[in-house]
Amino acid sequence: MFSHDIWVWIAAVLTLAIFSFLYKENPFYRFAEYLFVGMSAGYGLARVWNNALVPNFINPFWAALTAERGATGPLLADPRFWLIVPALLGLLYICRFIPSLSHLILVPIAIGLGLGSGMGLAAIIQTDIIKQMQSAIGDASNVAAGGWPLVWGIVSLVGVLTTLSYFFFSREHKGALKYSANIGIWFLMVGFGASFGNTVMGRVSLLIGRVQFLLTDWIHVIR
Amino acid sequence: MKFFQKLSQIDRRWIYLLVALAVIVPLMARMGLPDAPGKYSLQLFDAVDRIPPRSQPVLISADYSPSMMPELHPMFMAMARHCLARKVRLMVMTLDPTGAGLAENGLRQITDEINARAGSAADSAVYGRDYVFLGYKPGTAIVMMSIGENIRQAYPADAYGTPLDSLPMMRDVRNYADIPLVNCIAGSAVLNYWIVYAGARYRARVGGGSTAVSSADYYPFLQSGQMVGLLNGMKGASDYEFLNQQRGYSSAPRVAGKGMDAVSIVHLLIMGFIVLGNVGYFVTKKSAQQKAGEE
Repeated sequence: MFSHDIWVWIAAVLTLAIFSFLYKENPFYRFAEYLFVGMSAGYGLARVWNNALVPNFINPFWAALTAERGATGPLLADPRFWLIVPALLGLLYICRFIPSLSHLILVPIAIGLGLGSGMGLAAIIQTDIIKQMQSAIGDASNVAAGGWPLVWGIVSLVGVLTTLSYFFFSREHKGALKYSANIGIWFLMVGFGASFGNTVMGRVSLLIGRVQFLLTDWIHVIR
Repeated sequence: MKFFQKLSQIDRRWIYLLVALAVIVPLMARMGLPDAPGKYSLQLFDAVDRIPPRSQPVLISADYSPSMMPELHPMFMAMARHCLARKVRLMVMTLDPTGAGLAENGLRQITDEINARAGSAADSAVYGRDYVFLGYKPGTAIVMMSIGENIRQAYPADAYGTPLDSLPMMRDVRNYADIPLVNCIAGSAVLNYWIVYAGARYRARVGGGSTAVSSADYYPFLQSGQMVGLLNGMKGASDYEFLNQQRGYSSAPRVAGKGMDAVSIVHLLIMGFIVLGNVGYFVTKKSAQQKAGEE
């Protein structure tokens, strides 16, 4: 009935140790928690070393250093050599732990922010603002679609405008703005409700995943 | 009245026990509640279903880690099964370092199943002809933009070191213009990145799957047509498995489908708790007001 695989047993016992917290705090839970944190950190480090640093920096950089220069030109002309620049910028993050040099961490952060903004700004404005405005206005004014699509389009546009009015703080919420903001709160509540429902499903799915593992792989009660 | 007072003081461990029973009993009893695929699951399935066999490849980016497996791995399996069963070519990559092992194992399992059933070489799933595994690449947005210029910039070789031009199905694939559909399966904001960088910037058709927790963030993109479809958590995965079986693309056991009975029962239980909690709140509040009035 029970699995004969030692790894399945270890995973099952650790799963039960984590679940034991639901009854009350205990040493089995603490052990499993610390083991998980330690193993996750170790595994993550190994994965980043093997999958990111070695193939993308160490191997090409070493190849540039050890290449026969006659065929490939001078070292400084080899693009693989210049991987040292992002590597050194990355190392500046460690300056955070050296008080006299801690300000240097601002350099990689600034470059990262600049790069991210430069790459994403135009595309994000297009995706999150222009397309969304087009969609909201388009759906509400698409008379040709008629029926429920038009009704939902108008409801959606009203929701967008009234929700935005709730976040308009340059004027006191009185008169028309107060009514609009109150309607906006209802739309926000519906949105939060949908998010909450999805969150419940997500968390329950994780529980189901572990219970399925226990009942299927460990005890073999279901197939 | 006393009932609600007692209920408000109940030990929360009884609630945990009820939730545990609501999960275990449906899993063991297999209630077989009816399936009704959602609109956006159907849209994504149909988008894959319309791609001609043995033409340009679909890209699946398996951007998830083991902590999201119960919701997202069944999506990946169902989508990959659908593609390979229809002979739609498949490229699999990942932007999550822990996703590489999951996606590779999943692909191996599916191709082993197909090849065990195949009567001829044409029916089997052949690496390089029907599918490729590109592996993990760090850099998220930069990888997406590199694929938009030339996929060889991001992936000069597949995960096993074979140059892309040596793989028959990759010879005519240059950028998103040669990829009819990009599917991202992610439990983080990576799907948003795909919409922004691949979708808005390079006009790629983007679909995908996300954990239920983050799905609500993507509905505006579905409404505006910036996404072709979305699988929402375990329900979305179950929908795709159901459609695969209904259309005859797969007879594999439904991993997410098995969990949906439990999801439904737990949802009913939690809805019951919410109703009871609210009724109890108003009843006890009213009685407290009455008492204060009498005094």
